[in-house]
This record gives sequence, structure tokens and C-alpha cells, in this order.
Amino acid sequence: MNASKTLEKTLVASPERKLEADADLDIVRKVQVGDVAAFDRLILKYRERVLGIIYNMTSNREDASDLAQDAFIKAFQSIHRFQGQASFFTWLYRIAVNSTLSHLRKNRLRSFFSLESIREEDPVSREVIDALTDKTGAGRDAFVHELQEKLNDAMQKLSINHRTVVTLFEIDGLSHQEIAEIMECSVGTVRSRLHYAKQLLQAELQPYLLK
Amino acid sequence: MKRDTERKTTIEDLLRLKRAERPPAEFWATFEAEIRAKQLSAIVSRRPWWDGISRIFAVLNRHPVPVGAAAALALAGIGARYVAGNAETASVNRASVSEPVAAAAVAAPVARLVENAVAAPQETGFAAREAVPVQAPVVAVTESHITKAPATVAAESASRSPFGDGIGVTLSDFREPAPDTAQRAVFGSDREFEPASTPARMPQADPLAGLDPAAERRARLLAPALPAYASSGTRAVATDWMKARASSNERMYESMDQGPSDRMLVGFRF
Repeated sequence: MNASKTLEKTLVASPERKLEADADLDIVRKVQVGDVAAFDRLILKYRERVLGIIYNMTSNREDASDLAQDAFIKAFQSIHRFQGQASFFTWLYRIAVNSTLSHLRKNRLRSFFSLESIREEDPVSREVIDALTDKTGAGRDAFVHELQEKLNDAMQKLSINHRTVVTLFEIDGLSHQEIAEIMECSVGTVRSRLHYAKQLLQAELQPYLLK
Repeated sequence: MKRDTERKTTIEDLLRLKRAERPPAEFWATFEAEIRAKQLSAIVSRRPWWDGISRIFAVLNRHPVPVGAAAALALAGIGARYVAGNAETASVNRASVSEPVAAAAVAAPVARLVENAVAAPQETGFAAREAVPVQAPVVAVTESHITKAPATVAAESASRSPFGDGIGVTLSDFREPAPDTAQRAVFGSDREFEPASTPARMPQADPLAGLDPAAERRARLLAPALPAYASSGTRAVATDWMKARASSNERMYESMDQGPSDRMLVGFRF
């Protein structure tokens, strides 16, 4: 089975995704033949997304930074094993998610949150905050901080697998097929986990949901 | 909390807020420096030994069909060789067990074994052993497991095995005559411990066996007086001397008879 057919089957994505995967494959081939500097382009391209996934899974920015760096280093060390059957993006996400899951299982009893601030420059977040509160100034900031803590509390009440599915689907915007590839499970399992996780989150965040 | 809005806020909207949790710009400078340091250390650090194995498997995974075919062929070849080797071994074992071993057939490889074993110490420079003629190998022709072994195996083992060389040294020691110092009465004989019924023992070569001790002693005593005894024909000369002596005695008795009766005339002649 060649790489293009595999990508079509697994990504269920737009033509842009396919072009992106092909471009990544070219860079990966360069790294595989010894062009170490080419790997920097991959780091620059995916560092925010990788860090965002890990951060939303751990709710700790220091741990997220370390784990994201480790994920990139692992990918760099193992890049000779990458054969192009899946996209580099999926492969890198799998490394990051597996590293994070391993970290969370090791430190299951330790829960220390270290949150980034919500940037209201983002139009989506501003719209949501505007819909939830009419306060301004310090009152608005306090409300945003409270909402952020409630969100992270609710996320941390989920199991690791449910949290991962919610993070990949709702926050990072991956498809069910991509999540199934990354988590090495079926699409049905992904949908089931997602449904269950949303029910739990809805129950936890009911006061913030408008009717 | 704003409750009177017309727009319905869902759980998806709340989770979208999480996308806005981003680190500041200066964070990425630190992140880049740290990841570069880790990358350099990963390049410089020695890879574990199993990493080479994983690389080999990665290469094999890229070409599964040719590698699988080659592995199948190799396994088939090894299996065929194994089966053929088992069949040969089984046939040889069957032949050696079913056929009786004739003494003549066994004697040949065993004699070769002894010859090879004797030849080994001679090559090492034992001159005394070279003088000893090998008359017959000391071989016990029995139905032991050694005599039942195949002839080719026995010949090979006799010519190559260091154990065979050791047997050769022992046998040559067994046949070697006692040294002169050991035959003297002062030290006694080093063969006294040996059993008298040693089979096929070689006759001792006595260097004085051809000499007559009496004749030698006579020749040694008379040599100063009779120059003829100094020569090699000691026995013939001694016989002539004895005859001459007997005739002179007869002549003396004859002269005694011819003289007067009251006196006896004795004539000495040397």
C-alpha cells in the first residue's frame, strides 16, 4: 500500500492536508539523508500544536514544555523509522500523545496546574466571554480566570483517554479517523469516548452553559 | 454572569476557550534554545546497542516481500541440508550395527592407528626408538565399541587425534629396551614390575651374545706372551699351541725311556 492511498484513507482530510503531508514527507526525506537543519522547519511548523495538545492534556505549562521538547527529540532520533505510511503530522502527534500519556500515568497522583492566560485577541474566545459576562475590567478578568479554572478542573476529572479524545477533537480540531490513528484504536471507540466525555463535561460546567 | 443573551453557549464553545490559552512570545525563544541543546546532545550521545537492531528491522520492514522470500528460501535450504544429513547418519548407523565386524577388516585401521602412533614420536627425534624394529602391533582383537567403529572414522581419528599420538608414545615406551644404566646390577632392572607374560615382546638384543667368554679371556692373558694371540684368530692359534705342547710332552717321555734305569734324564725345552 503506498503512502498516498494510506493518507487518503486515514486523514479524511482536505486537499490542503494532503499537500501539507506531501511537503512534510519531502522534509523528512531530507532529514533521513542527513540534513539535520531541515528538522528545524518541522519544529517551527508543529511546535504550537504539539505544545497545545500536551498542555491541554496536562494543564501544566512547564510539563507541557518539557514533554513537547522530548516529543520532538524522540521524533528526531526515530526519524529513520518513519516510512511515510502515515503523515508526519500523525506520526509526531502519536509520539507526543504517547509520551504525555506515559507521563500522566506515572504522575497520576500529582496534579499541579500551571495555566497559561487566555488571550482575548482570539475572536472566538472573545465572543464566548462576551456571551458569558457583561463585566469589564477587573471583574471580567476574574470571571475569565474562574472559568478557566473550572474548565481545567472539569478536564482533569476525565480519564486520560477521554481527556485525550476531547483535546484532539474539540481543541485541536482533528477528525475521528486521525484521532483513531493517533490513539491506535477504532473510530467507534473515539466516538464513544467523545460522547461520554462531553456528557461529563456538560454536567461539570452546567452553570456556565446558557439555555 | 450574562444570562439574557440570545445565543446559546455550548460545551464546545467553552472548550474553544482552551485554544486561546497560549504561551507568550518569549516562551518560544526559551523553547527553541532548549530543544536545540537537546537535539545536539541527542546527536552527540552514543546510541544504545539495540538502536542498531531497530534500524535493521526498520530497513527490513521497508522491503517485507523480498526479505520474507529470502528468509523462506534460507529456511528451506537449511531444512533440506538437515534432512539429508540425518538420512546419511541413519544409513551409516544402520550399516555399522547390522553387519558383523570381521577381524581382518578391523585390523587394518587399528594397525594404521598403531603405525601412525609410532611414527609420531620418531619424528620428534628419539634415536633410540628408531633402532627398535616394530615386529607386530600389540592389538587385542575384541568386539569392543572401538573395533565396531567405521574404518574411515578410525583412520581419521588415528591420523589427526592428539589422543592417538599419546597412545603411540605409550606403545613405543612399551617396546623400548631398557637403557644400559638401568640394566646394571647397581640400579636393578626397570622391567621387574612388568608381567612375565607380555605378549609379542621383542627379544632382547645382547651385544655380547656372539662372543665366547673363555676364548676372550685366554686371548687377553696370552696376548703379551704369544704375539699370535693379539690377532683376531685367537681360537685357531690356541689350538695349534695346544697341539705343539702335546707333541713336546711325548718327546720328553720318549727320551726318559731311552736313558739308564738309575737316572732319569729330563730335557726342558721351551
